[in-house]
Amino acid sequence: MTIRSRRPGANAALLPVLLTGALALAACSSGGSSPAPQSGGAPAGAKTLVIDTSFDLKTADPGRTYEPTGLIIGKATYETLLTFEGSNVTKPVPALAESFELSKDGKTLTLKLRQGVTFADGSPVTADDVVFSLNRVRDMKGTPSFLLDGVQVEKTDDTTITLTSEKANPALPYILPNPALGILNSKVAKENGATADTGDKAEQYLNSTSAGSGPYTIESFNVSSQVVLKANAKYWGQQKPVYDKVVIRNVEAATQKLNVSRGDSQVALNLSGDQVSGIPGTLQVKKTPSANVIFLFANQDPSISKVTSNPKFAEAVRKGIDYAGLLELAGDGSVQAPGVIPSMLLGALPPDSGITRDLEGAKAALRESGVTNPTVKLEYPSELTVNGLSFQPLAERIQANLKEVGITVELAPAPVATALDNYRNGKEEMGLWYWGPDYPDPSDYLAFLPGKLVGLRAGWKAGSDRALEAAGDKAALTLGDEARRQAYVDIQNKLNASGPFVTLIQPSQNIVTAPSVTGLEFHPVWTVDVADLGVK
Amino acid sequence: MSSKDPSGPVKDSPAAPPKPGRPGRGGRRHPLARFLFRRVVTALLLALGITLVTFVLTNLVPGDPVAANLGQRALGDPAIVAQWRAEHGLDKPLPQQYLLHLQGVLQGDFGMSQQSHRPVADDLAEAVPATLELAGTAILISVVLGVAFGVVAALRRDRLSDHVLRVVSLVGISVPTFWLALIAFYVFFYRLQITPGSGRIDPGMSPPPTVTGLYTVDAALAGQWDVFSSALGHLLTPALVLALYTIGLLTRFTRSAVLEVLGQDYVRAARAKGLPPRVILFRYVLRSALVPVITVAGLAFGSLLSGTVLVEAIFAWPGVGQYAYKSATSLDLPAVMGVGLVVGCVYLVINLIVDVLYGIIDPRVRMS
Repeated sequence: MTIRSRRPGANAALLPVLLTGALALAACSSGGSSPAPQSGGAPAGAKTLVIDTSFDLKTADPGRTYEPTGLIIGKATYETLLTFEGSNVTKPVPALAESFELSKDGKTLTLKLRQGVTFADGSPVTADDVVFSLNRVRDMKGTPSFLLDGVQVEKTDDTTITLTSEKANPALPYILPNPALGILNSKVAKENGATADTGDKAEQYLNSTSAGSGPYTIESFNVSSQVVLKANAKYWGQQKPVYDKVVIRNVEAATQKLNVSRGDSQVALNLSGDQVSGIPGTLQVKKTPSANVIFLFANQDPSISKVTSNPKFAEAVRKGIDYAGLLELAGDGSVQAPGVIPSMLLGALPPDSGITRDLEGAKAALRESGVTNPTVKLEYPSELTVNGLSFQPLAERIQANLKEVGITVELAPAPVATALDNYRNGKEEMGLWYWGPDYPDPSDYLAFLPGKLVGLRAGWKAGSDRALEAAGDKAALTLGDEARRQAYVDIQNKLNASGPFVTLIQPSQNIVTAPSVTGLEFHPVWTVDVADLGVK
Repeated sequence: MSSKDPSGPVKDSPAAPPKPGRPGRGGRRHPLARFLFRRVVTALLLALGITLVTFVLTNLVPGDPVAANLGQRALGDPAIVAQWRAEHGLDKPLPQQYLLHLQGVLQGDFGMSQQSHRPVADDLAEAVPATLELAGTAILISVVLGVAFGVVAALRRDRLSDHVLRVVSLVGISVPTFWLALIAFYVFFYRLQITPGSGRIDPGMSPPPTVTGLYTVDAALAGQWDVFSSALGHLLTPALVLALYTIGLLTRFTRSAVLEVLGQDYVRAARAKGLPPRVILFRYVLRSALVPVITVAGLAFGSLLSGTVLVEAIFAWPGVGQYAYKSATSLDLPAVMGVGLVVGCVYLVINLIVDVLYGIIDPRVRMS
């Protein structure tokens, strides 16, 4: 746009001209809003699915993947030996393996490999690929390597793999579906720097393209803006990918809502309960309790706090919280968490067994503790949102609740990266955090016991509660669904009676989809299986 | 560059050949060259200072990058932690880390990003053009509209169009950019449905082959006109949102600068001599009024860059703002330093350009 020189006498005409120019400029922008964006080489009639999500993404290398967005991508591009059907995480089913069997002592898992399965480049998936991929995850010491801690992977013959653990490992079939354990095309991976040790250099390659057998492959990958998947034309399975292209974009929740309402995207993954309530009726809304459990803890280490390590303090907090109020805050679809294990997993406490507020009981417990007018510091990640729920209002509500009990809570928010430091080092007097399952098996929650990962963060050292620790050790080795369920219910009841944790809520996972999208199920591990999505 | 002094009366006789340089003290080089040299040297020293400041600030941030990048369970293994530290050069003393960093930067190596596991330089090469395209378009729009509005308002002082423009500019200055971005997105995209949505192009399209990294330019070069129109469409709303503040600022400054010049004796003299108003406006008034306007435009570019962080978030624009946010929250120190350096240098370059433009427009500046 240029400004022509005009006679000053004609200045009166200048303003309308300029304004018209500005409007014309704005009007140009409608040029790009054609409803069927098909270009850049895509064939006519090609179907594109756009998924908006707030990125939590570091890598597309399955052996290093541990973030929600990464798991969505991993699930679409790689396949695992076992998987889950739909949203049912209580029963692992075969995937690349056609059958599996856990030995009587729970130590050996034998898997028969499916035949005729090929990678995206057409080469067959072999037992050697499986052995290499699993060993790589375990020995590379990336974030998900703990999944296979102490598990030996061996090829018995060309169609049989055995996984051997030192102790009974009933959780293993529930661990194997994790997209981090996706099977790589080992030849391609090795050519690009993959080694099954800490010197592995394949990540950069695996961030530019995928080397799996999944229904989709990676077309482009940008860790902060968008990931584009394209259909694997050689996909071996019966159910071929429906969309030619899947674009997963990093979009703020508020923008996600507008995008999906307007039809600019077909799936929005991160809307809060509030945002979903104003969504147009034509869209499909899926509300499910997420597998994330938000909890409070009171540090048990007297050197960190004389107040919170007092045995009666946690009880006062537990009785003093207004759980119904928190649920209101979290919005539709969220549920109270009666224990650390979320509702959809084996061993979860019944939904109606959650504690209700008992203000008098809380005050009594505080009196019994002998601490008068305590002041405690509550640390939490300030900008973290879980399923659209921000920690800030949650912390403020807890502060108000405990004020009524007679506990003064000082809020100490910090950015996640900073807050994590104190939390992981067990230095927080009180903390507000959440835990999502590493794998959908109750044994993952043994981390809350004394001397274990989360227990230590709450200053709960090994030996603090020997009975509970023994119960945990026993539960880890227990076989059989009913016996395991009993064991974990028992552990949670004990945790609620004397532990430092106060479990609050499971916020709702709200997924909004366009009317055209079919087959969406919320999954606690990989959020959504892109390949399950169809079109009406 | 004309050898005539535009603000004074014509005094050179046509016979006198233009002199190559002014006979200053010593008279070794053209004053403009000397002026440029001085400014560039200062800029380089400042760039060095920026590397130091970004390095120090980045390393002062509380929080352990190891904890932020390694998994919870890997953290329990001291050998892995030590290896990670060694791999990322975190085991060396800070001064040595700084020197290594500086050495790398001089070779165009900003280190490896801990989050994308790619060279930071590659990440920036993707993010910087996106932001430049956005901020550049915004500054272009604001200079054109802001100066034009300012001139119109000054020439039509106290008339209706002046009042309207002044209100508009006041609104532009006062409204927070992120709020405006949300409102613009809501109104134009969602309600009126006349603008496209998030990102740089429609999600179904592939980006044009990279030449400059600016999608509009690259698409035009490749002759992909549908991509071009999509890229332009996606660009205009965020650019206009970003521009509004600067438009407001420039309108006000241009208006007052033009009014001031209009009151000067030489303008009156020119008018008295019967020079056509067009000549007076463009040769005398605008030229003198441009000096303060350039200053403001340069400074505004800075606020524009910080504005992009939020506008990029709202429009899901994959630029430096989003990259910086992501790097900072994951304590990706090399990336944070890279962003700090690039943004700092952009400021430097802008300042340099402003200074040089000064020198060209107003010779008195380069003489001082």
